[in-house]
Amino acid sequence: GPLDISAAKRDNSAAPLSALATAKNIERLQDVEYPEGVRSPREDLNKDAKDGKFRYDRDFLMQFMQLCKEKPLNLPPLDILGIEPVDQASFNMTRGGSGRHRQASGT
Amino acid sequence: MQAQAEGIRTVFSDPTNFNVKHPLYSPWTLWFDSPATKGRNLPQTPVSSFPQTPAPPTPGATAAQGWMEDIKRVISFDSVEEFWGLYNHIVPPSQLPQKANYYLFKEGIIPAWEDEANKNGGKWSIQLPKEKNRHNVDKMWLYTMLAAIGETFDPSPTSGESLEPSQHSLITGVIVSTRPQFYRLSIWTRLAPIGAGGEDDKLRERIETVGRHFKTSVLGYSESQKLAAPLSTEVEFLSHKDSEKKGKAAKKIIV
Repeated sequence: GPLDISAAKRDNSAAPLSALATAKNIERLQDVEYPEGVRSPREDLNKDAKDGKFRYDRDFLMQFMQLCKEKPLNLPPLDILGIEPVDQASFNMTRGGSGRHRQASGT
Repeated sequence: MQAQAEGIRTVFSDPTNFNVKHPLYSPWTLWFDSPATKGRNLPQTPVSSFPQTPAPPTPGATAAQGWMEDIKRVISFDSVEEFWGLYNHIVPPSQLPQKANYYLFKEGIIPAWEDEANKNGGKWSIQLPKEKNRHNVDKMWLYTMLAAIGETFDPSPTSGESLEPSQHSLITGVIVSTRPQFYRLSIWTRLAPIGAGGEDDKLRERIETVGRHFKTSVLGYSESQKLAAPLSTEVEFLSHKDSEKKGKAAKKIIV
């Protein structure tokens, strides 16, 4: 059948890019309620926090790894910078989660 | 306040439509260099994109500029969410060519000892044989970056109330280097102990806390573990001034 172009277009304007671009900085960590099962940042690191200068422990930070996969809009092409993986095949295998935007930019 | 809290959506509650992000203690810039980047003319070179310092150029600063032409600014970011977007799209150290370096430094600090923020400082570093650590180095570098951007290396980043806010934290940046035989990880500090005396002892203690945190929590070694071996070193601290004095006995701190 005909190619479903509309689906591809919708995919290009996927929400996460605009979500990150328009998201505001958290001003007070106390205002944030995390869903059940998500750890909050360690409180002792932020008891004197002011001006939005927060400290975050590793356990808290690691929870973002699988959620924040959007390629940064202002990331230059890595090969131009000389950042080229020596073993492309295994690089792609271990970094499988980022396929969609890579393909989108390559075609 | 209740209404405000209810309107907050983090990436955990809505991965595609979140409306708040987690700001970092400081904005950070990632830099890269390798033999392949030398002499490359890029549309965006650090020297021209970096704000010129008003001070007259010193020989050191001029030398740093020459070197800066070979190091490429990759990107800056200031939130947890942006860090992971970058992490998920960049090449990990185990996949970098030989003689390459990533430098993750606080925005506005050039990853050279000539920078104002670094010139009185030093670095913790460890060298690890490549063969044994090919499978560890990516995690070690990730944990090093997380301790840096999470600002957990320095137990008291807000101490020293008389200083500018940007001066509070001891850490200026972290580096991973790939060499034919080994990897090296480094943590750069704004200050380094110079001798003995009250304030200096306090600083030395603070620096040592950074080193112990690096060795145990970040790299995963036990506190008393001996690491020196062919191609590997202990976790050791050296001031940039002592690093310059090649040949002379340098005052290393080891944890």
